[in-house]
Amino acid sequence: MRQLLLITDGCSNVGMSPVVAAAHAKAEGITVNVIGVVERGESISSAEVEIEEIARAGGGMSRLVNTHQLSQTVQMMTRKTVVTTIQQAVNKELRQVFGAESVEALPPDRRGEVVRVIDELGESSPLKVALLIDTSASMRPKLAAVEEAIRDLVLSLQSRSGRSEIAVFHFPDSENGEGCVCDLDWTDNIAGVKRILPRLAMRGTTPTGPAMMQVIDFFRQGDYGRTIRGEMDGMTGEDVV
Amino acid sequence: MKTSSELRLAPGTVITGKWNRGRYRVERLLGEGANGKVYLVEHSRRLYAMKVGGDAVDLQSEINVLRSLASRRRRTEPFLLAVDDYVHRDGKEYPFYIMRYVRGSVLHEYLQREGADWFPLVGYNLLGKLAELHEAGFVFGDLKRENVLVGSYGRVELVDYGGATAIGKSVRQFTELYDRGYWNAGSRTAEGTYDLFSFAVLCLHLFEGRRLLQLTKTLLPQNRSPADLIRLTTGHPALKPFAGWLARALRGEFASAREGAAAWQRIMYGGGVKPARRRRSTAGWAAGLFACTMIALAAAIVWMISEGMLPTGLS
Repeated sequence: MRQLLLITDGCSNVGMSPVVAAAHAKAEGITVNVIGVVERGESISSAEVEIEEIARAGGGMSRLVNTHQLSQTVQMMTRKTVVTTIQQAVNKELRQVFGAESVEALPPDRRGEVVRVIDELGESSPLKVALLIDTSASMRPKLAAVEEAIRDLVLSLQSRSGRSEIAVFHFPDSENGEGCVCDLDWTDNIAGVKRILPRLAMRGTTPTGPAMMQVIDFFRQGDYGRTIRGEMDGMTGEDVV
Repeated sequence: MKTSSELRLAPGTVITGKWNRGRYRVERLLGEGANGKVYLVEHSRRLYAMKVGGDAVDLQSEINVLRSLASRRRRTEPFLLAVDDYVHRDGKEYPFYIMRYVRGSVLHEYLQREGADWFPLVGYNLLGKLAELHEAGFVFGDLKRENVLVGSYGRVELVDYGGATAIGKSVRQFTELYDRGYWNAGSRTAEGTYDLFSFAVLCLHLFEGRRLLQLTKTLLPQNRSPADLIRLTTGHPALKPFAGWLARALRGEFASAREGAAAWQRIMYGGGVKPARRRRSTAGWAAGLFACTMIALAAAIVWMISEGMLPTGLS
């Protein structure tokens, strides 16, 4: 299972549309969730529409939250998306086995067993979550809360029985203003990491779309890179690092 | 983050189950849980609680927990009575289940109304409930004030099993304030110690609510620790006898809720709990009244004897 979680507080203004990028992600089997972070009294109604559309194109959810709700939201959204992803896969099976369209279409007394399978798979399936963080100037005061939410997410993922990894990216790239920078490669433990995100004020552009495309590419590299390297060494499988 | 539906059922609405055709008349909204809303309903002239969810899978996970609990305690009155779907006018379907209606007040309101004298017993009963659940293979997960109902004479029921998780899995639902992960005190893996930690925070919330919430505002996330909570255990007279117990629970030192309950019980009856001052003065006043009554009674008897009004057998 693969998820891309975008945390932002404004509209994209450079490069490719993030809605198109989200559709690309979905085509690659990556669910896109979006959280819009607002401070008290701040209105980002213009960005709200875009946030919703990105999530819809990416097959995920979107929420507008305050900084103090961020940890809980990141955690719940990730969890909920895992269940939904499994559910979609299970629904496909249900059509073949029971001729039922979904769990809901089954009579209540037959749902129990199916949901038990969903719960079990939700706990044990491998999961990769890439977090893409907007670090443009207006996000700066919110970054401490974002970092806390990331640590909190890792704590939750560590209690899953399946392999769970996160990677963290921020955008814009201060070097060229386009795209994103990888702050943390795939990992399941960040106890030793003192600071995940840079605290410098970035330039004013918000290249959400191009940044998302780079993250999608990172997912692909993770898949292909490992397999190809593995084959070259005469080994197969994904476990080769 | 709530994912429950926006469905609102007005009092008087009659719900008919799609599959079993049971009819339930909505009396009023009782509360809102993580996976849906709970209503008081009437069915065949009896009152029940009905939980209506927005998501069939979420609600079914909860039902699965209730089912496996029910299969373990056959002798008690069944908690889960029916499971069905409700088809709304707009064509949307909402899963619901019918459970026993538990009369009672949420924990903090009960203690406010009935007095802190009930706290040790209610705490003990709650630990017993948790132990029972753990022994059935589950952790409650989302233990908080609102999820504990207290009935007559301090009887306790847990409500909202949305966070209930099979032991060893990751806790399905929790509230930050009561979560040991939030306090940097351990993992979110479902273990007995997870619930006991929440239980200890719950006790602090009941008597040191203001100072507890203050901690969440002033401490930096990386600085939160069980030590901060342990410092709150000695302030209030109702908590003081249990300070040692609470510290052990916050440090995850009890092997099981059963062991925790036994330790709690020893404190309750071991003289650690002193009656509140107010009560002692009441007792003194009552004793005084009793003495006066006895004097009046004796005087009356003396008068009756002197007047020859007693039955012959007594004089």
